[in-house]
Amino acid sequence: MSDMTSNTALPKKRSRKMTHNNTHPIVPWLYLLPHAIFFLGFIVFPVFYGLYISMHRWDPLLESQPFVGLEFYANLFKAGTPQSEFFWKTFVNTTLFTVISVPLLVGTSIGLAVLLFKPIFGRAFFRSIFFMPGILSVSVMGILWKWLFENQSGLVNIILTEYLKLPPIPFLTSEGWAWVPIVVGTVWWTIGFNMTLYLAAMNNIPKAIYEAAELDGATNWQQFRFITWPNLSATTLFVVVTTVLGSFQLFGQPQLITGGGPTRSTQSVIMYITEEAFSNNQFSSAAAMSFVFGVLMLVFTAFQFWLQTRDLRKGKK
Amino acid sequence: MNLKPLTLILALAAASTAHAEYTGPKVEITYLHGFTGPDRPIMEQLVKKFNEAHPNIEVKAQAQPWGTTWQQLAPLVASGRAPDVVVINEDQITGFVARGAVTPLTAADLKAGGINKASFYQPLWKTADYKGRSYGVPIHSVALAMYYNKDLMKKYGISKVPTNRAEFLAAAKACTVDKGGKNPGEAGFDPKNLQTWGNGVVNGWMGGTIAYSVLRQNGVNLVDKDLNAAFATPAGQEAIQFLVDQINKYQTSPANATEQSEINAFRQGKTCFNFNGVWMLEQYKGQDGLNFGIAPFPQLGTKMKAAWGGSSHLTLPKQRANYDKNKRLAALEFIGWMTQPAQNLFWTQAGGLPTQAKVASDKSYDNNPISGLFEGLPNVYATSGYPWVGQVRGAWDAAVEAAILGKKTVKDALEDGMNEANKQIDQARKTLQ
Repeated sequence: MSDMTSNTALPKKRSRKMTHNNTHPIVPWLYLLPHAIFFLGFIVFPVFYGLYISMHRWDPLLESQPFVGLEFYANLFKAGTPQSEFFWKTFVNTTLFTVISVPLLVGTSIGLAVLLFKPIFGRAFFRSIFFMPGILSVSVMGILWKWLFENQSGLVNIILTEYLKLPPIPFLTSEGWAWVPIVVGTVWWTIGFNMTLYLAAMNNIPKAIYEAAELDGATNWQQFRFITWPNLSATTLFVVVTTVLGSFQLFGQPQLITGGGPTRSTQSVIMYITEEAFSNNQFSSAAAMSFVFGVLMLVFTAFQFWLQTRDLRKGKK
Repeated sequence: MNLKPLTLILALAAASTAHAEYTGPKVEITYLHGFTGPDRPIMEQLVKKFNEAHPNIEVKAQAQPWGTTWQQLAPLVASGRAPDVVVINEDQITGFVARGAVTPLTAADLKAGGINKASFYQPLWKTADYKGRSYGVPIHSVALAMYYNKDLMKKYGISKVPTNRAEFLAAAKACTVDKGGKNPGEAGFDPKNLQTWGNGVVNGWMGGTIAYSVLRQNGVNLVDKDLNAAFATPAGQEAIQFLVDQINKYQTSPANATEQSEINAFRQGKTCFNFNGVWMLEQYKGQDGLNFGIAPFPQLGTKMKAAWGGSSHLTLPKQRANYDKNKRLAALEFIGWMTQPAQNLFWTQAGGLPTQAKVASDKSYDNNPISGLFEGLPNVYATSGYPWVGQVRGAWDAAVEAAILGKKTVKDALEDGMNEANKQIDQARKTLQ
């Protein structure tokens, strides 16, 4: 470092000049081009085309696609339409899932990370074990948890009735209970990813701080509360935001475990949008719902950023 | 009796020689289907046979999941790049027809392909009809069936496989025994602790499918002649009430049964009867110690015989204006050949049912348990004939579920479901113009 800074100003200047001269102004743009093509083709264009679809009565087979303005958006807020009933019902369902599952997903993954960060016996083995369900496809995971929580023949109910002598719980046909296999299954399935993020972040906390704290007589809990947790705040922000967005995109688990039932009580927004588009062939209505849902996600994300960077902003003042 | 098959064979022989085979220049046609499971190699063998027998037609087959085809077909047709032949299922076909994605098969078309409408089971053929015209030829058929446990029936002294409501109820009652050895109706009978039972009433898609079958048996369809949802009639309520009564009144079904729990219970020998698709046959055959038979879905309704059926139909999508006429002729030749009895017989080894009586009477079925189902085939009705099957089935399944789970009365559940379906139909009508 010191060698480099002690160099004379002359070559530095020259080299800066040279790179400037040798680079044709178009070169940086060429580097950006491959990504730009895909970004424009697969993100920007579909967004605007989706906006077009949502404001027209659109079907690829129709000869004319009449402009309807905000009709499909208005359907979401007009009492008596199926969309106003089911979109908001499934939105509440999805929000409920998010509110229950995110604290569980973040809490358990940080807990596991703390346990598996210590040099305990079989650490690598346990890290792999907890990460492993994440490599399964959602269909495997879904069928597995459906079997486990099956009303009569599922393992959970067999344990309840045969061994604990309790009445069976009809998980798959009771509103409320039907969330249990979905939430527990999701935690089991996705916990490894967040755990790995936390483990990586914990590696970056200097050991010296813990040693100093230990000398000062800090307990394990105090070390976690005043060293680990604050040092992980950037990771926690990332984990919470991605987990919340991921939870709101809930689709495969209820689709496979409960089919959205009983009586739509576990149907998620994405499931309903898919139903509207590909079962009911109402593409414009589905596009309008996607935009409303997208805007709601943006609001949630902005709120989270504001909430979690409050400390930082206070510090700056 | 002996004359009947003979005349049929003669008539078929006459029909197959009557049509002029495709003699035009060599063409290549594309064929898109969704048989991606164990049925795929069987379909590929059939295509290979066709290509070998038709030197001037080259069929290029492509298999992709059904859902992908439903999403892609409309854009493909709109851009003039549709495959020459596409297989469409019973619940999708009317929607594509109404949206103009599929072309009608005229009498001349059928003649060109040597296709004889009358040889197919009529409800099956009519699955692909819309407003008096035909749009597809059935290649694959499945149906709701009743599986019965022979050992359990013998144990409870049931000698006859039930075919109607009274027989079914009597048998189901005899099969339902609680852990204390009591039958429904006896003092102290505990419906929450059943040792064995008749049949569990399920919900979800299978529940809706079974309920639809009973509804048809009561002489009601999901839609009326104007294609509006019309299932909340007194006869419709009677059908669903009968299902609900099996749980609460007759107590021959446990509460909260699911399709999966009933499959498991039947495999474990805990239920006398199981209603599911013909596709469950292979699984049940593989179950050690399960001595079972398969029969047509019994007539639990009050008016007629009926059962749900699913099917796949060979169709000719709409093509661009300058489409090669020879391709259409070759495609018709292909459809005609594919749906002939010999090919259908070969195809059914993949698990499908015969599409025509001629195939069902083939000797090779004599020792196959699946033949127990054949006498029901003329009474199999698909959810088809209206462009909004998705909307109507969604509302119907939810209504049946709400009634079976006791969340609503039968009357309220069906009326709410019908209102919901009709609101969705109104919206769909605007898109169809």
